[in-house]
Amino acid sequence: MTSVLSLAGPAGPGFLSPTGTEIAFLLVGVVTLAAAVVTVTTRQLVHAALWLVVALGGIAVEYLLLTAEFIAWVQVLIYVGSVVVLLLFGLMLTKAPIGRSPDADSGNRPAALVVAAAAAAALVWVVVDAFRTTWIDLDGPAQGTTRVSGEMLFRNWVLPFEALSVLLLAALVGAIVLSRKGDEDAEGKR
Amino acid sequence: MPPFPGSGLAKGLAVTLRTMTRKSHTAQYPDVQPELPPRSRGVIGLFEENCTVCMLCARECPDWCIYIDSHKETVPPAAPGGRERSRNVLDRFAIDFSLCMYCGICIEVCPFDALFWSPEFEYAETDIRDLTHERDKLREWMWTVPEPPALDPGAEEPKELAAARKTADKLAAQRAAEQEAERATEQAAAQASGEPPAQAPDEAPGRNGADGTPGTAEGGTA
Amino acid sequence: MNDALDVALRLVVVFAVFLVLPLVVGQTEHKVMAHMQGRLGPMYAGGFHGWAQLVADGVKFAQKEDVVPANADRRIFQLAPAVALLPYLLVLVAIPIGPGEGAVGVVVNAGIFFVLAVMGVGVLGSLMAGWASANKFSLLGGLRTAAQLLAYELPMLLAAASVAMAAGTVSLPGILDAFEWWWLPWQIVGALVFFVAGLAELQRPPFDMPVADSEIIFGAYTEYTGLRFALFLLAEYAGIVVLCGLTTVLFLGGWHGPFGADGLGWVWTLLKTAVLAFVVIWLRVSYPRLREDQLQKLAWTTLVPLALAQIALTGVVKVVIQ
Repeated sequence: MTSVLSLAGPAGPGFLSPTGTEIAFLLVGVVTLAAAVVTVTTRQLVHAALWLVVALGGIAVEYLLLTAEFIAWVQVLIYVGSVVVLLLFGLMLTKAPIGRSPDADSGNRPAALVVAAAAAAALVWVVVDAFRTTWIDLDGPAQGTTRVSGEMLFRNWVLPFEALSVLLLAALVGAIVLSRKGDEDAEGKR
Repeated sequence: MPPFPGSGLAKGLAVTLRTMTRKSHTAQYPDVQPELPPRSRGVIGLFEENCTVCMLCARECPDWCIYIDSHKETVPPAAPGGRERSRNVLDRFAIDFSLCMYCGICIEVCPFDALFWSPEFEYAETDIRDLTHERDKLREWMWTVPEPPALDPGAEEPKELAAARKTADKLAAQRAAEQEAERATEQAAAQASGEPPAQAPDEAPGRNGADGTPGTAEGGTA
Repeated sequence: MNDALDVALRLVVVFAVFLVLPLVVGQTEHKVMAHMQGRLGPMYAGGFHGWAQLVADGVKFAQKEDVVPANADRRIFQLAPAVALLPYLLVLVAIPIGPGEGAVGVVVNAGIFFVLAVMGVGVLGSLMAGWASANKFSLLGGLRTAAQLLAYELPMLLAAASVAMAAGTVSLPGILDAFEWWWLPWQIVGALVFFVAGLAELQRPPFDMPVADSEIIFGAYTEYTGLRFALFLLAEYAGIVVLCGLTTVLFLGGWHGPFGADGLGWVWTLLKTAVLAFVVIWLRVSYPRLREDQLQKLAWTTLVPLALAQIALTGVVKVVIQ
């Protein structure tokens, strides 16, 4: 996202006189990136999860700066409020020692690095290609309000939205099936 | 099953709400003195004059918390030519209330009514040694001992009174018998001399009346 | 300049409310709980019926030593109380207490989502505390907190979504502007679900499994002392204020009242909030703690279906009206 703005710079009001929002956007972007890097490099499992909170919160702030208030709060609600809590729950339930856990490192580091780099490159490329030098006017009427997001979602993007719901439904059904099967097995053993 | 779901929950809420509207039971002790029941066991008072240093209390105490020291003194004979008597004199009487478990056995066993329960209870100390109350302190407690509660109407009269009355009656009966005997001898003497006695007819009914109603205090003392 | 002053003034007022109202609720809890149990409660601090008891408690907490266990994860351990407390302060900023723009700290466009999202973050504080204490009771408390949050976040969200559907907006002042008195019976199920789920999220009795003192001492807060512990307690009472304020705004019509002049809207808001806070205390006194499995069962088999039914009802009525 930082790239969007920096690319968009020359076409619009210019690089050398950034507004306050732009400066904030860049700074928060840097913080988010740094937090994300720490998340994957730290050797303390729970710290990684907590740094993830910072990274996700940073992204929420970026949404806010882009006036997409609704998206920002949903980001906090779902990711910080639920996903990270679930993550921490899982960590505590299994093994979450205080201090470093070197055994958590596996030999897959290079492979993971390659996958991460490829995913990042693909995403950046897609985003940059899609927006090019589009200038988002933040001073005018807000373009990310709940109403606008809702209309976009349910007018232009209904099909992907529904497809996603079906995907989630499938995951839900799968989870139920898995847990039920475990139940029967356990009863059979008894 | 309750008549409709949730009625149990509502009942629970009702109980707490009702309790809130009522007067609370907290005893605001230092501000308001508690109303103690009669015969409360607060502290033990010593009525020294009654103590004969028989040591029964100290021996019966399950905690061994009563300390008694004494010596013997000889008392000169009451009547000239009589024998010298020896008497126990109390030197120390102390109760360690840090050991006492307030069983009251000492008070029960005291044969001379020298120990009493007092309802006073505010004698906490910051030093445990101060909980050993010496005889002067025990004597002070004595003045806080309440009067024994009145007997229930229609109750059996106390053993002391019954015993005293029995003795008194016996004495009265004895005296009456003596007078009877006296009169009989007088009459016998009068008949022998041929003169009827002047006083005897007046006196006899009165004596008979006194015998017929035992229990008047005069009968005993007269 | 005037704008900056205005904002600063609002924030100061919100901060003052944040400091005072939780203490008022705490003191009320002391007294109400005592009388519901046939006691008197604090009677000495401050002279008149112990009104300054919590001030005295605060002084006591401030004097205590701030202990960090030797094996604890020091930084996270120390950060946790702030993470638990600050979200409630942020939420308070967005709750409107009267009609118009003047009676809310900051107008947040997607108010419902802001409020629920930030409240969810507060629980992270308990999780951090539970993990960083290096104590098995704390860890168990943290686990229970997480399980409880995951279970009750959903019905709470669904109930709030029902109101948003009814009002056609997700902004809190917007919902209040659209409020009509007959929403009360219409949304009553949603209100109950929201309130119960909120209680569970605050870990208030009867949903206080995460701090069940008879089982795991004090859950995630076992190792805390002094001011940091006081901050956790303050977070709980601030949570009560926030939950009651939110329920008032979302379901009870906030500043709408059966009578009263225009200027008295805030009185209605405060009154409804106070009544709800009383109910919170009342529930604490009346009911025993739920067992962990009962807790989960209540959320998944009762509250979630009820919330979904409420959403369906809201949708049907909304369509019929239009």
